[in-house]
Amino acid sequence: MPFGFVSPEMYRRYKDEILRMSQAIQVNYPEHLPADKRKPGFSDRQMAEKLGIDEATVREIRCVAERQYYDIDEWFKAIEFKEKACRDYRRQGLSSVTKKYLKK
Amino acid sequence: MSASSEAMVETSPKDELINLALKGGALVAGVADAAAFTAAPESHRPVDLLPGAKSVFVVGGAAPRAGDWRSPNYQHMEVTSINDRITALSLKLAHHVERKFGYYSVGFPPGVDRGQQPFVSVALAAELAGCGTASLAGPVLNAEYGFMYYAAFATTLPMEPDGPPQESACPAPECVEMWNAEGTTPCLSTCPIDKGGCLGGRLEDGKVAERSYDRARCTSRVYNYWVPGFQKALDSILSESDKESRRMMIHSTFFTRTLWSITYANVSQGQCYECMRVCPVGKEHRTLK
Repeated sequence: MPFGFVSPEMYRRYKDEILRMSQAIQVNYPEHLPADKRKPGFSDRQMAEKLGIDEATVREIRCVAERQYYDIDEWFKAIEFKEKACRDYRRQGLSSVTKKYLKK
Repeated sequence: MSASSEAMVETSPKDELINLALKGGALVAGVADAAAFTAAPESHRPVDLLPGAKSVFVVGGAAPRAGDWRSPNYQHMEVTSINDRITALSLKLAHHVERKFGYYSVGFPPGVDRGQQPFVSVALAAELAGCGTASLAGPVLNAEYGFMYYAAFATTLPMEPDGPPQESACPAPECVEMWNAEGTTPCLSTCPIDKGGCLGGRLEDGKVAERSYDRARCTSRVYNYWVPGFQKALDSILSESDKESRRMMIHSTFFTRTLWSITYANVSQGQCYECMRVCPVGKEHRTLK
């Protein structure tokens, strides 16, 4: 891994598998869930052992893949989302998300 | 008991630290057993930061003010609601342990390591120290105050651990009622994973039974204008072949705001609070005149 980054070929080959195993989208990750429901992601070391590559390469691919998961458009959607949610709350308080059960 | 004899009563190091923490502005404080971090991955446990660590002392506080939650402009919380103050208090207490009691102490850095992961999970520490419990939305919630920031340090000083709270602060009774009627909760309703948000999950018998969390999308919201946003913008700028367009991108509001944001704080700063804004836990402290 020269200069601390992986080759684009190496990245393309492993990124989907690493994202899946590391749980980029976590499903039932928290430790307080029942043992039969809990599905924690794998550590970099565990993924390296399964894929037969070294831990540093896994870490590098994971970090890049996590950042590239969404396009920059998602960052602009985030601004719209927050402006709306904040504005709605200012206008309606907690009832902005449930009109029946929570007072303003 | 006279005042003079009261002064002679010795307090334990733990009690002394809790008193100092509360005087220093913490809302809650507690101790976790350094050996109890079994849910943390290897190399991310207190002993990995401080070999021989016996205890982890946790402080919580610096929560956004009631007015912050009411403001129609969410952007101000980026610089008024940060973990710096509570982290500074934690480091001060860590110094106190070394100077007064003569035991090693290492503060948990609030940022991330080279793998973009916490050195040690402060959230897990807060749970194990009895300060709060994990929520459906993610943040550790204190049953009395709700959302707040936490900081912690590991030490070789042995202290009696508090252990995790017996009852979970999440879901709140209002959320259970809403789930039973509408099949959603305030946080899930605000940021639903199946409609472009970050959170999914299910309650069963008044407890969290399942949870999904899109942390990549959450990153785009929580670190909207920070290091991840800077990387996304820089990638786009360097990929732009037209000089004029490149100039527009460099001087754009998004890139400028990102650069300002990076200068505001050198550690963690949150830029999205929407799931916590609607959380009923601790709402009594957020409702003023």
